[in-house]
Amino acid sequence: MVAAAQHPNIKLMTYSEVTDVKGYIGNFEVTIKQKPRYVDHVKCTGCGTCTEKCPTKVTSEYDLGIGKRKCIYINFPQAVPGKPIIDAENCRFLKTGKCGVCKKICPTGAVDFDQKEEIIEEKVGAIVMATGFDQFKWDEVYGEYGYGRYPDVITGLHFERMSNAGGLTGGKIVRPSDGKEPKVVVFIKCVGSRDEAKGKTYCSRACCMYTAKHAHQVLDKISDSSAYVFYMDVRTPGKAYDEFYRRTVEEGAQYIRGRVSKIYQSGEKLIVVGADTLLGRPVEVEADLVVLASAMVPSEGADKIAQLVGCPTDKDGWFQEAHPKLRPVETMTGGLFLAGVCQGPKDIPDTVSQASGAAVKVCALLSNDELATDPMICQVDEKLCSGCLVCKEVCPYKAISAKTITERIDGKPVDRIVAEVNTGLCQGCGNCTVACRAGAANLKGFTNQQVLAEVDTLCQ
Amino acid sequence: MKRIGLFVCWCGSNIGGVIDVPKVVQEASKFPGVVFATDYKYMCSEPGQDTIVKAVKEHNLDRVVVASCTPRLHEPTFRKTLVTAGLNPYMFEMANIREQCTWVHSDDKEGATKKAIALIRRALAKVSKVEPLFESHIPVTKKALVIGGGIAGMQVAIDIADNGHQVILVEREPTIGGKMAMLDKTFPTLDCSA
Repeated sequence: MVAAAQHPNIKLMTYSEVTDVKGYIGNFEVTIKQKPRYVDHVKCTGCGTCTEKCPTKVTSEYDLGIGKRKCIYINFPQAVPGKPIIDAENCRFLKTGKCGVCKKICPTGAVDFDQKEEIIEEKVGAIVMATGFDQFKWDEVYGEYGYGRYPDVITGLHFERMSNAGGLTGGKIVRPSDGKEPKVVVFIKCVGSRDEAKGKTYCSRACCMYTAKHAHQVLDKISDSSAYVFYMDVRTPGKAYDEFYRRTVEEGAQYIRGRVSKIYQSGEKLIVVGADTLLGRPVEVEADLVVLASAMVPSEGADKIAQLVGCPTDKDGWFQEAHPKLRPVETMTGGLFLAGVCQGPKDIPDTVSQASGAAVKVCALLSNDELATDPMICQVDEKLCSGCLVCKEVCPYKAISAKTITERIDGKPVDRIVAEVNTGLCQGCGNCTVACRAGAANLKGFTNQQVLAEVDTLCQ
Repeated sequence: MKRIGLFVCWCGSNIGGVIDVPKVVQEASKFPGVVFATDYKYMCSEPGQDTIVKAVKEHNLDRVVVASCTPRLHEPTFRKTLVTAGLNPYMFEMANIREQCTWVHSDDKEGATKKAIALIRRALAKVSKVEPLFESHIPVTKKALVIGGGIAGMQVAIDIADNGHQVILVEREPTIGGKMAMLDKTFPTLDCSA
């Protein structure tokens, strides 16, 4: 994180969103919105006094609702950039005009309640999508796990926030309901993954391994603890992965092949009812904590950004690569590349490999001073063009514009409008050639004459 | 007079195992303008491409049809072969007799053979009408935009930046690191994620 933030060639724009993308390979024009932080990050030294004194506490999104944060906050102490922002929705001063404690005590005068959003325009030659994933909303469909009613039924990411030494509990694994240390922890895999009925058909690929890691952490951190893992399959295809899983089993994690049919509260305990399909008998576990390995789904808003940059998506909303085997980091849009989970579920080693692959593709593109363009694009025969500009309406790449030409008719100059094609923008889709009633728009390499010759031959 | 060369690929048994390739070559070569026609096990391989280059020179061909797989896969390959042979790369047409014929009609060998001939005649008709095309050039802005500052976005940005190019890394959240920064130790080595 620090390497990315401090690199002299990287301009880091956090709390920012891409709002518009125009142009084409080698020549994109992007608009980026910098949302107001209400803190001047040039003046701010990140001393943290404001966060300490802020009187308003709200639920922390970063800790997935388990903990609290202040209204002027940093997600975690080692965050990059290590300077706070103000949560405008909950800030007393921004809502009611009263308070302003942070502004009063800031030693460098960095708090600025008048900060507005900024619009920044940039020109770039290549774009990489790395929008990641969100967790499948299991609590909307899995009634058998309590629809999120039981506080001690959490997801793997919740577990990570607790287990993280820099997190709220300082690395201690506790029950969210009463803060007690759990002795019996049940893990359920494939929650939303490989479930045609309630979730997604695909495998999320990282859960088998992180569940093995979680089970190991329970056994390692909590004395006299036991870990049960309900699974459909154990998938460990990666270097040193199966060894890691075997180690967890040898440490005492009990793997039960079968699904959980019901979880219910009984006193302080959660009763997990399932089946062991290898032994062919029902299983019941009295658990203190249940951890669900929830599926990965495309990050919220991924569909909108995909539309903005012209990136095709697949049936599940993942960004579509140009070829599943041979062009896994490219898209069908020239100059647009993919990195990480936005293209499909993967773990960290695969994400890093793919990201480096995408970087090489970008470097290969940017190492050219100029690019050869595909000559199979539209050309307009001005003699035939009536200037109706229907072609302009149907062009998805905004490549056609009106042009005035002067002709001599009976010796007099006469002005007339015709369509003109921008050869950089035209992608050769052929929409205009189909729409052109005069037959003036013609696609080079797929001319009307060539296509008709093909049709004639096939009809012979 | 046009001088067309026709090259039919077996794609191992992908095409050759379904249709009668020699018959296809014989029938399709009757098309007006075809002065040379042959077949080969893997037309995209080096010996396959050499066959095309040699034939262009020996028979003074001015345009080429390759009947093989989808143009998405090997159109760029064969265009380069034409340049090696001294022809304009756009004096070329492909007939897709794999995805659009043998893969979908493997249960009807005779029908597939007929269809392959028709598809190749279509390509021959097209190639008879093609003209040389020339690429133009556009400038490149030597800067990249990375959308998302999680582990994927950071890795991509650092790798591009290390290569000497400017990068804009955009993250919608207040801090970078994404999901990865939320994690504790990571498998299989159990090192930290920060």
